[in-house]
Amino acid sequence: MSQQIPLTWFLYFAAASFSIGLMGVLMRRNAIGVLMAIEIMLNAANVNFIAFWRYGPTPAGEGPISGVMMALFVVTVAAAEVAVGVGLILLCYRRWRAVDVDEFDTLSD
Amino acid sequence: MIQALFIALSAFGLLMALGTVFARNLVNAALFLVAFFFVIACQFVLLEAEFMAAIQVLIYIGAVAVILMFGIMLTRNITGDETTTVSKPWRLLGLLVFGTVCTVLVLGINAYQPWTDLAVRPEFPVTKSTTTPRGQAVLSMTPTVGREMMTRYVVAFELAGLLLTAALVGAVVLAQHEASDVANANAEKAAGEPATANS
Repeated sequence: MSQQIPLTWFLYFAAASFSIGLMGVLMRRNAIGVLMAIEIMLNAANVNFIAFWRYGPTPAGEGPISGVMMALFVVTVAAAEVAVGVGLILLCYRRWRAVDVDEFDTLSD
Repeated sequence: MIQALFIALSAFGLLMALGTVFARNLVNAALFLVAFFFVIACQFVLLEAEFMAAIQVLIYIGAVAVILMFGIMLTRNITGDETTTVSKPWRLLGLLVFGTVCTVLVLGINAYQPWTDLAVRPEFPVTKSTTTPRGQAVLSMTPTVGREMMTRYVVAFELAGLLLTAALVGAVVLAQHEASDVANANAEKAAGEPATANS
């Protein structure tokens, strides 16, 4: 292990992934495509959490694996979000026969 | 050596992310997304968080990707896959946002001295005599995660359980709402009445 990976490389990777995910959220019309882009952004944030946990100093009073626990809870929330999101998209599809986010422009029928 | 591995892995992962965003066919996009999730798992292994890599494979590739695939299959676009991305001027705007955000983030990372100084991670020799809590946590992460979840993070753990229960109940309620819609529609069809708004 003479040549280690610097922390900034992980940060660059996470920043690029986050930007790509943001671009996907803005550019996709399909609601499920938007959900997939949101997943990319959440994963980029998780990489940042784990990288800072591994490289940084241990914060006082937060235990030895604070970054890993944070990433775990992010994974939990992401799983719940995808389940509810796909359920809502299916409901919208059955009602309006469309999954494009620019078609959903009514608050009620 | 490990740096070259990281560069190859990251380039592959970013290509997969771009494929997820730009693929015409949504099924292809979902498969690109699975590859991206796997690259993230590999990054976790490079960061010596093997437990998180296992969780990543189990939850993201095993559950999230399958749910997304179900969603894609059930909402197949009748008009074809041409409408999955926005029109050209909006696409240029998206590229502009991508360039701006990426540049700002990279410049910010470069400018912050404490982060650029962290080139070498703390070493933990693989012996039984590692006494620091961090070293113990890295070498045996699964028991540490369980212990922390039951002691220090117990409130967050319970809240996560509550959230998952609420998501489950919410999904059931959505499905049930749809069933009652169908029942209402059938009843209305049978009675010959016009469709009424139901909320």
